[in-house]
Parts: sequence; C-alpha cells; structure tokens
Amino acid sequence: MSLFGTTSKFGSNGSSVGTFGSAAADHHNPMKDIEVTSSPDDSIGCLSFSPASLPGNFLVAGSWANDVRCWEVQDNGQTVPKAQHIHAGPVLGVCWSDDGSKVFTASCDKTAKMWDLNSNLAIQIAQHDAPIKTVHWIKASNYRCVMTGSWDRTLKFWDTRSSNPVMALQLPERCYCADVVYPMAVVATARRGLIVYQLENQPSEVRRVESSLKFQNRCVAIFKDKHHKPNGFALGSIEGKIAFHYLNVPNSVKDSFTFKCHRSNRANSSGSQDIYAVNGMAFHPIHGTLATVGSDGRFNFWDKDGRAKLKTSEPLDQPISACCFNHNGNIFAYASSYDWSKGHEFYNPKRKNYIFLRNAAEELKPRNGK
Amino acid sequence: MTVCQFFLQGRCRFGDRCWNEHPGARGAGGARPPPASQQLSASNRRGWNASSQRYSNVIQPSSFSRSTPWGGSRGPDQASFGSSTGSGFGAAQRPFASLSSGDQDEQKLLEGIVKDVEVWESSGQWMFSAYSPLKTQPPVAGFTDISPEELRLEYHNFLTSNNLQSYLNSVQQLITQWKNRINQLKTINKSNRVALLPNLNNGVNQAAPALGFGSTQARMFGSSFVGSSKSVQNFSFKTSPGFAPATSGSPSVFGTLPALGAVPSAGSAVSASTPAFGFGKPQITSAASFSFKTPAASGFGSAGFSAAPTSLAGSPFGAAMAPAFGGGTSVAGFGSPGSQSHTAFSKPSNNIFGSSSIPTSLPVSNVISATDKVLFTPKDQLTQEELEQFQSKKFTLGKIPLKPPPVELIHI
Repeated sequence: MSLFGTTSKFGSNGSSVGTFGSAAADHHNPMKDIEVTSSPDDSIGCLSFSPASLPGNFLVAGSWANDVRCWEVQDNGQTVPKAQHIHAGPVLGVCWSDDGSKVFTASCDKTAKMWDLNSNLAIQIAQHDAPIKTVHWIKASNYRCVMTGSWDRTLKFWDTRSSNPVMALQLPERCYCADVVYPMAVVATARRGLIVYQLENQPSEVRRVESSLKFQNRCVAIFKDKHHKPNGFALGSIEGKIAFHYLNVPNSVKDSFTFKCHRSNRANSSGSQDIYAVNGMAFHPIHGTLATVGSDGRFNFWDKDGRAKLKTSEPLDQPISACCFNHNGNIFAYASSYDWSKGHEFYNPKRKNYIFLRNAAEELKPRNGK
Repeated sequence: MTVCQFFLQGRCRFGDRCWNEHPGARGAGGARPPPASQQLSASNRRGWNASSQRYSNVIQPSSFSRSTPWGGSRGPDQASFGSSTGSGFGAAQRPFASLSSGDQDEQKLLEGIVKDVEVWESSGQWMFSAYSPLKTQPPVAGFTDISPEELRLEYHNFLTSNNLQSYLNSVQQLITQWKNRINQLKTINKSNRVALLPNLNNGVNQAAPALGFGSTQARMFGSSFVGSSKSVQNFSFKTSPGFAPATSGSPSVFGTLPALGAVPSAGSAVSASTPAFGFGKPQITSAASFSFKTPAASGFGSAGFSAAPTSLAGSPFGAAMAPAFGGGTSVAGFGSPGSQSHTAFSKPSNNIFGSSSIPTSLPVSNVISATDKVLFTPKDQLTQEELEQFQSKKFTLGKIPLKPPPVELIHI
C-alpha cells in the first residue's frame, strides 16, 4: 500500500515503521508521526526534500553535529539512510539543485559545498567571511547559480565552477533567512531588515520592505498566487507572530496582515502569555497553505486566504526547529530538536533529536469559503 | 432616532457622521475618532478561526499592520490608525483621544512601548532582539539583534576552546544590559522621553551596528585579536570614522552609553537614567522558564555601574567589562588603539570572549553615536568660534552656534 502517494491515513498504525516510544508517557512524538531512522546527533538546523525531477523522495538534513545526512523516504514510510557528508562547522542551510543531482550545504565554517549524490563527493563552492546562514539554488532562463546569505552582511551568487562569486550584494545587516521562488527572492536580515530581489537577467534589489513585525526576523517563505507566480511572502519573528506581505498586488498594503501564533496562555494569570519564536515555515506546493513550526514544540497549518487555522498539533517535548514539504506536498517533515531559544542552560547534548514525517495531503487542504 | 450603542460605550467610530443618536455629547464625545475595537469586532467575523481550543482562538489582525478598508474613507481616521499602532500588540481596545495633537500620539507611542516591553519581559520571549515600537520606526537603541544560532555558535566555539566561563560571563552581561534597558523603557518619564523620541523620530537608520559577538567568532576564535584593525572594521562600526578618532580623549563618553542603554549621555537624560538604571536589582525574571538569570550578573553589572553617572568617564562601563575584556583587543574595538587609559581594558586574560563582548556594547555605542550626532556634535566638528561660544558663560548674539553642543561640554 503506497501510503505516501495516496490519501489514506497512516501513522495511526505506524508501529511497524519505528514509532517506538509512543507507548511510553513521553511526548517526543505526540502526533504519532513517522520517525526518521538514524537521525542526527545534534540539533537539526535545516531540512530539504528533493525536487520533482528526482523520482522518489529524498530528504536531507543539516545539523549542529556538523553533518548533512540524506535519507530515501519510501512510499511505505520507511526511511533508509543513504549518505552523509561532514562540514567543519554546524550546517545551517541545505538546498537541492533543480535536477536533483546535487545538494548545496551552507555551514558555520563559512563555506558552502556542493555535494554530488551520485559520486558522494562534496566540493566547496562558496566562501564568506562569516558563517553562511542560507543557501538557495537559482535557475533562471539565462543562468544558474547558488545564492548564499551570510552573517558577514553579503549576499553572494556563485557559479559552481568558479571560486569567485559572479555577484555580491551588500546587505544592511546579517542575513537571517531567505527564500527563493524564481523570479523573486526575499532576504530577511537582523534589525528587521527585509529586502526583495528580482532574479531575471541578473539578481538585483527591487526594494526594501518595512517589516510589519516589531521584533527579530526569524524565517521567511514566499507564496505564490493561483498562477504559481510568486506574489508575496510570509515573515515569522521571534515574537510568535507572522506577517504576510503582498507584493505586486494593487491593494498590497490593505491585504498585508499579521497574526499571532505559537503562543500559549498561562493557566494562572489571564492575559499573560508565553511567547515562542516561529522557527520555520513552508508553503504547501499544491494547496498554497502554510505550515509553521515554533519553539513551543508545535506545528500549525494555516490557510492565509481563508484566514483560518487548519490545525494545531500537540506540543512535542522539544522545540521544532525546521520543517519542509516534499515536492508534491504529500509529506510534511519537521525536526524536533533544541533551538537555543532558552539559552545554554536548557541544552542537553544527550537528548535525542528527531525528524518526523507526516502525511500532509489531506490536512492542508484550504478551507472553502470564509 | 435610535441611540447609538457604541457611542454609549464611548466607542462610536462614526462620530459626527453617525446616523444614530449620540445623546447629549457634542463636545465630549462627538469629536472622538473610532477606536480599533469596533473594527476588530468586525474583522473577527472573518478573523482566524481556530479548529482547536488550545490557543486564543481568534487571531486578531494586529491593528498596526492594517491600514484598513474601514479607515479608508475618512481622513482623520487615517491618523488614528497611525496612532493606534503605538498602543500596539493588537489589543487596541481603548478609545482614542483626539488625534489632532501630536503629543497624544507620542503618549500612545510611549505607552505602547511600555506595554510591549512588559510583555517582552514576562513572556519568555527571546531577549536579544531589535525592537521597534512601530513598524515604520527604526529599532529602539539599546537592543542588539543576536539570533539563537549566533549565540549557540559562540557557545560551541567556547566549548571547544575550553573557555566556557567567558561565554557565560558575556551572556550574563548581555542579559544584564538587556534587563537594564528594559527597565529604563518601562519607566517612561519626561527625561526618558527626551532621550527616546529623537531616537524614534529621526529615522536615522542605525543599521550599521548591532553586531552581536556572533560575527566576531571568526576572528575571535583562537586568535589574538590584538591590533588587527581590519577585523575591527568588520565589526561594522560603520559610523566609526568620525566617531573613533574624535573621541580619543574620552572614548568612554560614548563607550559608557551602551551600558546605560543608549540614552544620550549628557543632559537631563543622564540624571534620569541613573535612577532608572536599577542595576543590581536582580530583576524579576518573571520570564518563567527562561533561565538567563542574573544573580551573578547583577553583582557583576552593578559593580560596574555604581560609578558616578555624571562623570561620563568610562569607568563604570569599563569596570563592568573588565573581567571579560581582553587587552588590546577591546581597545581596538573602541576604535582608539592604544589611547585607552582605562585600566580595565588592559587586562590580558580571556582574550577571545572578552573582546567579543565588545561588540555587544559596540553596536549600541554606535547607535549612541548615531543618536548623538543628532543631539550633540563631536568636538572636532565644531569650529573654534563655536567651541568658544559653548565654553563661555553666555552666548554672544550673532555668534550663536547652529549645531548642538558637544557632549563633553555639558555639565549637569
């Protein structure tokens, strides 16, 4: 039975695929999702699924144990570790090339590497003066390159064959997160900076957007309109809030809005809340609905057009640090590991880090109507 | 005519134009612009519907992000939405005062800041974040942006170099600074205002600094940082060119300020800031589970801050930094290599993290310099004549300087 390809439910009887621990009282997997085998030994910083051009589903995860691991996710839910490669520092960003043959990984060792999965060789393709936080593959009509955003306040574009960047753009501050959906790219920096780029012909800055949020930017994701053209982005901050910014739309100011999420009301005093950071977000490739994960250990699904919350998960016992969808939106992967949101005192190196896979075909369908 | 229910509650959004009756309140209530609550209740109908009861169900569109359709048709209301942002956090349930007076807006803004800050402190939210009271405003000085990843990287770097203690010290320092700044913002009063408002209104984009020590780890780690001015420049001390050399005499002037939470150093601001300073109040940490506690830090910080505030000499700040500071590294950080007379700065221990703690102050001091450029002029930018004018007892007509006085000459 092909569980990932169909809409049938799985996970409730997932005992055969390694959801051990569900019988115990711990809450490491309250949603009873499929656990990826051989998960990384330290916090997972980034997740990425292979593109549609590759048959099957392959997941790569970068971790603070300096490694990048790749699994094949089979239709019956089994995950088979395939390969891994090591950086000299924690890996903060991963992405696939559009043909699915290479994986680009960005690390705190200030380099980005191109990992050829067929040959299992990784070569360095980028160099910065500070850790590289984001890496994205850009496929334009007349060029292909890798975009890296770093804490050295630059955004560099690399042709993988040359050791010099083909282009380097200055950022106002350290790059904290970025997203690319051709022809748009958005970079969110420290001090609430937000810059939109257009990638046609060659990357150039379009404008700086005023962030609707008051606090530090944490994650950003571009969404598309019904013609699959990027027309805006969502921005998450450390303050448990997400802002939607529409661009290139006549009523962009009116339509842009923010909402609160990943907060919990305290039982004792009404009105005061615990506020958690939004660690990652991803748009469902088919439905266009949004998944967000936060330091509170929950994931949420949202429908931005219907302005509805589709689902909230049970809290995991660790924060969820990263998430992503596979290319057809059937699988939602999220990583449960410590994100440093409470400082070093809460860091337990011995704690197990998990990556969970969930069938996302049904739950992310948008609500019909308002 | 039917009596307007909203008006009775003091919340009628149509004011004069309301088709219902507003009993007896021409002067008192008629002029009041609509509060946000009305539009919120309208919006809640199409607000976010939660499928689970776990969260506060309706996610109110945060008022300050919407210049909404409701407001679109009326002129005065536009301004009210502007001022509503100041009361921030989406819970704009209160009626607005008349919008005509800019003061009211300011008041709202400041109240909004106080509220935001209180929530920030009590909610366990990540501390090391830039903060802007309104989205259109630049971040408030005194807060540095450090992402959790940067902090964690520092931790790992120091772990591998067996220098965890200095990491811990610096984190404590950062926390203390943050707490102090938060306390300052909570006690908004006249003098704080003076300090804050130019900051908020001048739109100077203090974008340059705010480098946590994260970025320094490259240089910091394992290397003796001394003397490589190049790396100092990478501290994004962008406004430094004018800044650093000018203050060779008393770099501490600007250097202390970060600790004081970006309040301009001279004038009434200082006298206000000291009481507000609350160092050594091992603060609350009602931030429940957040264990960035400061019992050690408050002792640590207070030792530093106990010096006479009006002496803008850097000793308070310098002393605070002392244990953590490396030697020449810190000096270099302040842009005046070698000219530092502070004994604090000459301690050679703990190079790595010591110097890294500079950037945490640096960005803020940089910010100060940005503010200070607005409020004060560095000495070297004044002509001889202007300097004389400032130094004399009275201004001579015809020679009154147009630029603000330099910080050094201001005595309280």
